[in-house]
Amino acid sequence: MNLATYARRNMFRRRGRTILTVLAVAVAVLIFATIRTTLAMWNAGVDEAASDRLATRHKISITMLLPKRYMDEVRATPGIAASTWASWFGAKDPLKRTPFFAGFAADHETWFSVMTEMKVEPAVLEEWKRTPNGAILGDILARTLQVKPGDRLVIQSDIFPGDWEFKVVGLYTPLKRTVDRNSMVFRWDYLNNDPRAEFFKDKIGWVMSRIDDPKASARLSREIDKKFDERDDQTITMSERAFSLSFMGAFSALLFVFFVVSIAILLIMTLILANTIAMSVRERTHEYGVLRAVGFKPGHIVGFIVGESVLISIVGGVVGVGLTLLFVNGLMGPAVEGMGMFPAFRAPSSVLLFAFALAAGLGMVAGIIPAIRASSLKVTDALRRID
Amino acid sequence: MDAKTDAKTGSKANAESIVSLTAVNKTFHRGKEPIQVLDRLDLEVPSGSFEALMGPSGSGKSTLLNLIAGLDRPTSGTVRVAGADVGRMTDGQLAEWRSQTIGFVFQSFNLIPVLTAAQNVELPLLLTSLGGAERKKRVAIALRVVGLEDRMHHFPRQLSGGQEQRVAIARAIVNDPKIIVADEPTGDLDRKSADDVLNLLERLNKEFDKTIFMVTHDPAAAERATVQRKLDKGALV
Amino acid sequence: MVPVRYNIRSLFVRKLTTGATAIGIAMVVFVFAGALMAGEGIKRAMGNAGRDDIAIVLRDGSDAELSSSVKPEVLGMLRERPEVARVEGREGVIGEVVVIITAELADGSGGLSNVMIRGTPAGGIEFRPELKVVRGRAPKPGTNEVMVGRAISGRFKGIATGQSFDLRRNRPFQVVGVFEAAGSSYESEVWGDADVIATALGRSASVSSARIRLTSASQFPTFKASLEADKRLGVEVMRESDYLKKQSEQLQGFLVFMFVAIAVMFSVAAMIGAAITMNGAVANRTREIGTLRALGFSRRAILFSFVLEAIFLAALGGAVGTAFVLVLTRFQFPIMNFQTFSEIVIGFRATPTIMAVSLGFSMIMGLIGGLVPAIRAARVSPVEAMRG
Repeated sequence: MNLATYARRNMFRRRGRTILTVLAVAVAVLIFATIRTTLAMWNAGVDEAASDRLATRHKISITMLLPKRYMDEVRATPGIAASTWASWFGAKDPLKRTPFFAGFAADHETWFSVMTEMKVEPAVLEEWKRTPNGAILGDILARTLQVKPGDRLVIQSDIFPGDWEFKVVGLYTPLKRTVDRNSMVFRWDYLNNDPRAEFFKDKIGWVMSRIDDPKASARLSREIDKKFDERDDQTITMSERAFSLSFMGAFSALLFVFFVVSIAILLIMTLILANTIAMSVRERTHEYGVLRAVGFKPGHIVGFIVGESVLISIVGGVVGVGLTLLFVNGLMGPAVEGMGMFPAFRAPSSVLLFAFALAAGLGMVAGIIPAIRASSLKVTDALRRID
Repeated sequence: MDAKTDAKTGSKANAESIVSLTAVNKTFHRGKEPIQVLDRLDLEVPSGSFEALMGPSGSGKSTLLNLIAGLDRPTSGTVRVAGADVGRMTDGQLAEWRSQTIGFVFQSFNLIPVLTAAQNVELPLLLTSLGGAERKKRVAIALRVVGLEDRMHHFPRQLSGGQEQRVAIARAIVNDPKIIVADEPTGDLDRKSADDVLNLLERLNKEFDKTIFMVTHDPAAAERATVQRKLDKGALV
Repeated sequence: MVPVRYNIRSLFVRKLTTGATAIGIAMVVFVFAGALMAGEGIKRAMGNAGRDDIAIVLRDGSDAELSSSVKPEVLGMLRERPEVARVEGREGVIGEVVVIITAELADGSGGLSNVMIRGTPAGGIEFRPELKVVRGRAPKPGTNEVMVGRAISGRFKGIATGQSFDLRRNRPFQVVGVFEAAGSSYESEVWGDADVIATALGRSASVSSARIRLTSASQFPTFKASLEADKRLGVEVMRESDYLKKQSEQLQGFLVFMFVAIAVMFSVAAMIGAAITMNGAVANRTREIGTLRALGFSRRAILFSFVLEAIFLAALGGAVGTAFVLVLTRFQFPIMNFQTFSEIVIGFRATPTIMAVSLGFSMIMGLIGGLVPAIRAARVSPVEAMRG
């Protein structure tokens, strides 16, 4: 037997108290990991954004359109490997099977060769070129709207009146975790030729360009914008990553609130754990005195106490991680993904590991003050206590 | 085996003092009032002696015991135990020294409830550099001496009071200490168990030559000792 | 009944344990009350401004002002309707142009967000009696002057009193004042002249939406029915109150869900904390309890006594948490409403109800957490008094 046995056995002295404390640690880890997962998922879009792509849109408003003829000038810029464009359709499901999905009209000849993380079979692309009202869907959207390739699909729009009929020619496969699987892409020329869109004739929403050298993204962005600076419709161009980052600003305050809450729960957990350890230590003061009489040093006593605290927090941490996997990956994730809010909502192992490590570390912190108080008692005083 | 000493004279021919107190004072401070518990005490305990210390409560028995056991230091004067000057040692040195030199027996047994008898006895050995197998051997020997080898794996709550105290004694001797210090060892026991424990202590003293310093209220316990002392108001009488 | 003094004294003897538990509960109540206050702030920012006697007319199928457009002929026709009330001497019908622009945060972080710009005609300000200019002045009709809502004033570059921003290249708009609108979502907008803004945007004479003040709220059903029946008009009609509620449905649902989930999980932690402390207290005071029983106090008295102690302990933490949470009222947080793509600022609003509910919540946590330990205390028999 060794000192670890003593620490472990002590956990079972007051089984109810240990179980409750383990539970408290587990719940704290669950809350913390859930919040951190939410933050991580929010930022995942930024992390996985392409650094070798530039996004160009209207400088004044995301709702304003650019003339399509800008495309030639963008393509002519040296350093731009390929460019494509799209316009927002404001799609909605007339049968209200889903509250929201992304519908947009894109150039059928170039969109998927620039947006390479949405993989489409060449045969599907060929058929899309032959089908003016063809549409390509994400798999989650196809499931929600209950359509498969070959089916007819009718949707409506916030922006354009009436019903719009499309033929589903295929699905795209997401190559990255963060690709939205709730989107629908159809041909821009189909929208452009429709009389209902005459207000937006030959106008496009935004341009995506692939560049050869990611390091040149800032310079190329400026070059593109300079070209259109004197026109009525000015542009703003940024790397895709900078684009995502800049919109994080809109949610930064909320994310900060979540961050503060996650710290709060850790503090509460440490308090509860420290309280439990302090209570146990107080009850064993006499026993610690005996151990010191027999020859154990204050350092040993600190080791016993902190060891017990860390043991409880480790067990609680493991249970908490298990609960998180159950809750986030089993319940919350599918629900959030189904709502179309996040493409992939799972607890990353880095978050789980971090939460576990924090629990263990805070276990050490929680045990230190009671341990130091216990070990600094004079042996004779400790022996005098009866409890 | 050395010759037995005279019950009341307290000196042993040819025996060295294993405990030597010279002009020892011990003063406590409760708030502003200093309380002198021991007053210029001198004491010589010969090696191999079985000493009983009696006296009314408040006489300073426990304080004297604590000094001899290296649990506390004198305010002034010298306390020499087994060749070490207790007053001059640091807490860390005293802890190490205690683990090698002193065996403790307390009134309330003080076994750790979550450890088995064997594991309780093993505790002092964890402070040494002995390996697991060697430790187990010594634990078995100690428990055999006290006659509880067959109860090795029992928990304290499964033992009677007398058995618990004997396990405590096994713990006290497992490190082969020079002195056994006992504070009211029979205080919580019935007559029969008390006798068992006292028999054991006597045996340890006579057969194994252990010096025993015992504080007690119990006249029957004092009877077993080779030397009896009385402490009153901080001085030996 | 066991004297309450016993319980209170017992709490203060174990200062450290009582303190630690109370602080833990205080933090839980802080988060709980904060969540409620955020919910109240959300309701205020998104729900309240709408009136039942104002109808909004949008293009059929557009669902939101941003994507809607209403032709001038329709506006003219609306003015002729019998249900229309008169506001300040003219028909209570206004057509407004709404657009969102990209704005850079003034904090220098380079972050971007969207700001809603509303072009309102002459009479547009009077149309909303709750609107007050609190700094500077209202913009003069027919000019490129604008005023900014209190909630977003100063948050973005160029959008503060005395500054200017471009709506189109070389079309600067001057900010001349700040307005309040009873804490509604209008306070997150920038208002200017409808014609000037429409021209700057290159829009035709169409407006985004029309608002009509009805002579009474009860007129709404007939008004809506007759307008939507005429398919040539191609409009949909809603009460303004319903419209604003819908605009923030998703965001509100999302935020409420998040905060409720957090509050629930935190309250579990509070109950566990209270249970651990009370359990420890009972275990340590077994002899005391036995003595009380031996003296003649009944099991029920002991049960009540310990439940009361738990409630008192929790209320201590609850009071501290509730007091500290008032600090939050000084903070606001901006968030993008993903339905309208524009930014909305949400403040923490404290109401007496929320304070009372939070305190009560803490006491309930104490009750639940302390129940099992109290039952254990009640089970202690008088014999324990003798045990050493």
